[in-house]
Amino acid sequence: MAPIRVGEPDVRPDATAHVSGVREGNALGSYEMEPGHHIDGTADARRSTGIRPRDRNPISPSMPNLPPG
Amino acid sequence: MTATEQMRAAEKPGQIVEMAWDPITRIIGNLGIYTKIDFANRRVTECHSTSSLFRGYSVFMKGKDPRDAGFITSRICGICGDNHTTCSVYAQNMAYGIANPPMAEWIINLGEAAEYLFDHTIFQDNLVFVDFCEAMVKETNPGVLARAEATASPRAEVHGMRTIADIMRALNPFEGQIYNEALRVSRITREMFCLMEGRHVHPSTLYPGGVGTMPEPTTFTDYLSRLMEILDFVKKAVALNDDLFDFWYDALPGYEEVGRRRVLLGCWGAFQDPNVVDYRYENMTDWGRAMFVTPGIVVDGKLITTDLVKINLGIRILLGSSFYRDWVNEEPFVERDPLGNPVDIRHPWNQTTFPEPQKRDFGERYSWVMSPRWFDERTGDHLALDTGGGPFARLYVTALAGLVDTPYVTASDGAVKISLPRSRTLPALDLRWSPPAWSNTIERDRARVYFVAYAAAMALHFLERAMTRLRSGDTRTFTDFEVPDETIGCGFHEAVRGVLSHHMVVRDGKIANYHPYPPTPWNGSPRDSFGTPGPYEDAVQNMPIFEENGPDSFKGVDVMRAVRSFDPCLPCGVHMYLGRGRTLRTVHSPMFGASHG
Repeated sequence: MAPIRVGEPDVRPDATAHVSGVREGNALGSYEMEPGHHIDGTADARRSTGIRPRDRNPISPSMPNLPPG
Repeated sequence: MTATEQMRAAEKPGQIVEMAWDPITRIIGNLGIYTKIDFANRRVTECHSTSSLFRGYSVFMKGKDPRDAGFITSRICGICGDNHTTCSVYAQNMAYGIANPPMAEWIINLGEAAEYLFDHTIFQDNLVFVDFCEAMVKETNPGVLARAEATASPRAEVHGMRTIADIMRALNPFEGQIYNEALRVSRITREMFCLMEGRHVHPSTLYPGGVGTMPEPTTFTDYLSRLMEILDFVKKAVALNDDLFDFWYDALPGYEEVGRRRVLLGCWGAFQDPNVVDYRYENMTDWGRAMFVTPGIVVDGKLITTDLVKINLGIRILLGSSFYRDWVNEEPFVERDPLGNPVDIRHPWNQTTFPEPQKRDFGERYSWVMSPRWFDERTGDHLALDTGGGPFARLYVTALAGLVDTPYVTASDGAVKISLPRSRTLPALDLRWSPPAWSNTIERDRARVYFVAYAAAMALHFLERAMTRLRSGDTRTFTDFEVPDETIGCGFHEAVRGVLSHHMVVRDGKIANYHPYPPTPWNGSPRDSFGTPGPYEDAVQNMPIFEENGPDSFKGVDVMRAVRSFDPCLPCGVHMYLGRGRTLRTVHSPMFGASHG
């Protein structure tokens, strides 16, 4: 480290990163855990709402399931 | 404002006048330009570029969680922080062995295209052009203004300004039409950016492995409608820039020598192609060449490589005039790259930063900036590459490489062709940029507006690709990953004003070494251990002076134009020192025009 006089650190350098015991968003399997996300990259209405999502899916299977925005 | 130090005695008292501009602030730190000017021969005889600000990112990144790197390094810069986040994401993807899903890649490309549109526009029209506006030219070159009044604009039917002087008036700060229009456009382009990356300028939705942006149809149509709204402005800007700069060459014969240096350009590439990129170091040559702005190095007008692996291994961080202790005796972090090639101790992967604050001495050490150089194994030279302010090198390399082929931008026959579709008031427009004869002030500035058109055209391509993917139902934007205990990564990108690289070493799941190298260390570096001056110094040294004012009312506009052509960001102060102890202190804000100086 540089020969510069500095004070005692208040926090550990990695303090911002992770609290032990909290699930990490990047952890393997996170994508599959997300509701409405399919493994092939598509999604269904469950991605956007938990209220009767199947009623909000496209009426034809050939139509893409697009987010509502 | 920094106190100006007296430099060493001038060689020819009475003829050589010392002039200093310190700070020429840029967002990343402080920049000072110290010159000696020979007013008898109207020439700059010597130039030193210095920075008085130490940042220390490479010092305090150590020990942090590597996933935080993108968010922390974004704060390096207040105008192109997203370039750092993007570059850090690239480096982290390599380190974690993952790639962004294609939709995420298009979203990042769209965000970065909006950043180029925003930043180049605000810098060119609101900062660079203050040096070319009527108020400034009236102060520095009244003869040129008189000629501009009598010169018709060749492309008046596109931009609507009848004479060159009308263009200059439109550039006047706060009052001019172009100045104000550029502010409005920079707001729209920032909105485009925020649609893709969440927040400007420190993105909130960019992470290693993808983005948090929701790819909805309106995400892209909102972007598209804004893009189409500014296309008229872009087309007019190109015509207007060409008229102004062509006039400049005519009105001031010899102006091509202002800010001129050898054609030594570096571009690290931008806009990944998700169909090719896998972020594996072993394949970096291939996915580097697939980028929509080609990486490469140009020496004396010739493209010598487009290979990112070769570019990476050639990077050397030299000292010589910088306030640091050498690290060559430290243990290297990376002795061989993943392909087995040896990595030099002066490479960013192996660099350790030992700051040694001390008094500035132009004969010894005078800057906090180190001297990044590129080792040319053909000749054994350590080349002081510049970025030409960013666009100049990007267009130069892309044109010579001839690898980009999209419906709106193609590179072939040594030129870049840009096709912009019909917009609100103007018809479709085809532009062509080919490498000019010089690497100088005017051509760096001219390339900037062409790259605005390039980014706009590329954004159209990215939009079409993203919307096609969305219509197929693909909305995946992120990838899971685990942080390995031991790994390395490097990211190559183009910050708005030029080359950007991030080199990371991870040990015990934490950052052991992290070195971001943005464009300013390349452009603003001091003399290195071989005595080679940095690009600012090189470009300003020996350049002629065209300003009509003498030493007492000297504004240094030619020097400022040369330095600003490299895009060192916002100039806010001038502090001049005129030899023999007489100090002229001008609290000078160019934003208010020369008459308010």
